[in-house]
Amino acid sequence: METLAALATGFGVALQPANLLWGVVGVTLGTAIGVLPGVGPALTVAMLLPLTAKLDPTGALILFAGIYYGAMYGGSTTTILLNTPGESASIATALEGNRMAKRGRAGPALATAAIGSFVAGTIAVVLLTLVAPVVVEFALKFGPAEYFALMVFAFVTVAAVLGASMARGLAMLFLGLLLGLVGIDDQTGQMRFAFGVPELMDGIDVVVLAVGLFAVGEALYVAAYQSRMGETLEKMSGSLWMSREDWKRSWPAWLRATAIGFPFGTIPAGGAEIPTFLSYAAEKRLTKRPEEFGHGAIEGVAGPEAANNAASTGVLVPLLTLGIPTSATAAILLAAFQNYGLQPGPLLFQSQAALVWGLIASMYVGNVLLLVLNLPLIGLWVKVLAIPRPLLYAGILVFATLGAYSLHQSWVDLLTLYVFGLAGFAMRRWGFPVAPAVIGLILGPLAESQFRRAMAISQGDPAVFLERPIAATLLALTVLLVLAPWVWKVVRERRALR
Amino acid sequence: MPPRGPRTRAELALSLGVLALGLAAAAVAFRLPEAAGYARVGPNFMPKVVAGGLVALGAWLLAELATGGWRSRVDDDPAQRGEHAFHRGAFLWVTAGLVAQMALIRHAGFVLAAGALFACVARGFGSARPARDAGLGLSLGLAVYLFFTKFLNVSLPAGWLAPLLGGAGL
Repeated sequence: METLAALATGFGVALQPANLLWGVVGVTLGTAIGVLPGVGPALTVAMLLPLTAKLDPTGALILFAGIYYGAMYGGSTTTILLNTPGESASIATALEGNRMAKRGRAGPALATAAIGSFVAGTIAVVLLTLVAPVVVEFALKFGPAEYFALMVFAFVTVAAVLGASMARGLAMLFLGLLLGLVGIDDQTGQMRFAFGVPELMDGIDVVVLAVGLFAVGEALYVAAYQSRMGETLEKMSGSLWMSREDWKRSWPAWLRATAIGFPFGTIPAGGAEIPTFLSYAAEKRLTKRPEEFGHGAIEGVAGPEAANNAASTGVLVPLLTLGIPTSATAAILLAAFQNYGLQPGPLLFQSQAALVWGLIASMYVGNVLLLVLNLPLIGLWVKVLAIPRPLLYAGILVFATLGAYSLHQSWVDLLTLYVFGLAGFAMRRWGFPVAPAVIGLILGPLAESQFRRAMAISQGDPAVFLERPIAATLLALTVLLVLAPWVWKVVRERRALR
Repeated sequence: MPPRGPRTRAELALSLGVLALGLAAAAVAFRLPEAAGYARVGPNFMPKVVAGGLVALGAWLLAELATGGWRSRVDDDPAQRGEHAFHRGAFLWVTAGLVAQMALIRHAGFVLAAGALFACVARGFGSARPARDAGLGLSLGLAVYLFFTKFLNVSLPAGWLAPLLGGAGL
């Protein structure tokens, strides 16, 4: 009941004309930018972050929620028509979606992606509404030791599951943590790793890191390894309407995918990448028409797209209730909160109830807006895709560098951006995951301050992390997670010896 | 021993890079003051932990390399991903664009810097029409400049075009 009342207040906020307008602007802008090949939700949010510095917090966060959803939706259009997944969570969609488009069924593929996103997104927001107050209630009991343990757990799971190997994932996590240390230490005012460069003294901005890795790094990579290949943009063919059979095959896939995606989103497992593949695998196994898989089976689009949306909403549960981002995009959203001096977590639900519930209500609204706006606008998005690649990337870089430059009006930020671009190029080339670096940068300073607070409370006794049951359990799980592959290997080798 | 080749060399360079970053961070961390207080951990504690982690991970990557190459769950070879070989010209043109922008933005101004960036990047991606690209880049730069300075009230350097922009009442 309390939740319903809070949600009603939230709708009161979200449906105010100004906020509704920000929602519309957000989903439209998000879709328009997300549809650009190579531009995923993380980059979209990062590029638009510096431009909203002057909005009021509620409007800005509603705008970002819209951008978040819109960018994901735009990405699926690109994947289906162009077969260049803008982010790893879209790879599964590319498998079947692009084949459907090649066979002249682009319309139903886009429709099942859009309606599936709506269904999964809406169910996931309902789940978010129900789950969030429970987590908040629980999290209110957390002290610094529990938060620190939780952050360590999130760090290690994200680093361990993403990228080509655990060593590379952890290396990127520590790189992110190191970057997070740059600048003034909040507690003592000590300058760390700034080397007297004024631009480094307030720390490294997450916008510079994310735009450097995702935009500059991506542009360098695509130029070096993909720019001399032809690629085919599939025509927007076939009616947008799905046949009775398409509906019959899509429905169960949407629902199953939501059931897979949402829980996966809420745990720190790197966001939407894994659930989309799980959903694809589930649909492939359960389908009555296995012969169509690999040649454009509609379940193969309906499932992963719905899973992507459900998981991306699930990611907002730990972000809003605990302040823990578990994907690169969530880390940048956290930076958006911090720009307004807001720290997501259980206390925010109490101190800023109208803002938090307004944001949640705006997600219901955003899902509807996306469906209403985007199906009719598909023709426009297809035109965006037809922009020649050289002009497209040149334009992306003009906007990407603009965001970094506008931070301090300094060319030093452009240099930092290029250095991160080189790093992003190397990471993309040699299988280092990006998300742990971004999460390390944004969450590292918070983890450090929780650690030092816990140590101050215990008068410098590190046993505090082992004496409190929740903290100890989380840390034990973390150790287990790192050691599990080795233990597993040793066990298998022992067995093989027998 | 793993097969010697560009792949091994890249892995060696990157492993050593992680290790070197860790050592450099450690060198800074050990010169930070203790200033611990009640918590018995001060501003130098996390830097030491992070530096130690990077050194350990550099060593881990080197160990993987010495015992048969980096472990990989997914393919990390462009050819396997259906991409073409490294195109040096493309890489250098994009770099040139970004460096040109850094050099130009302060004195020549945002619009000219954006034009240079745009033209170089387009060239890097294989465009063969530099005049058109420069024109498009300058127009885009001008549009962004006007939108930001007039509409969002974010100041961007006008540079050499200041008399022109100022003269036109912009």
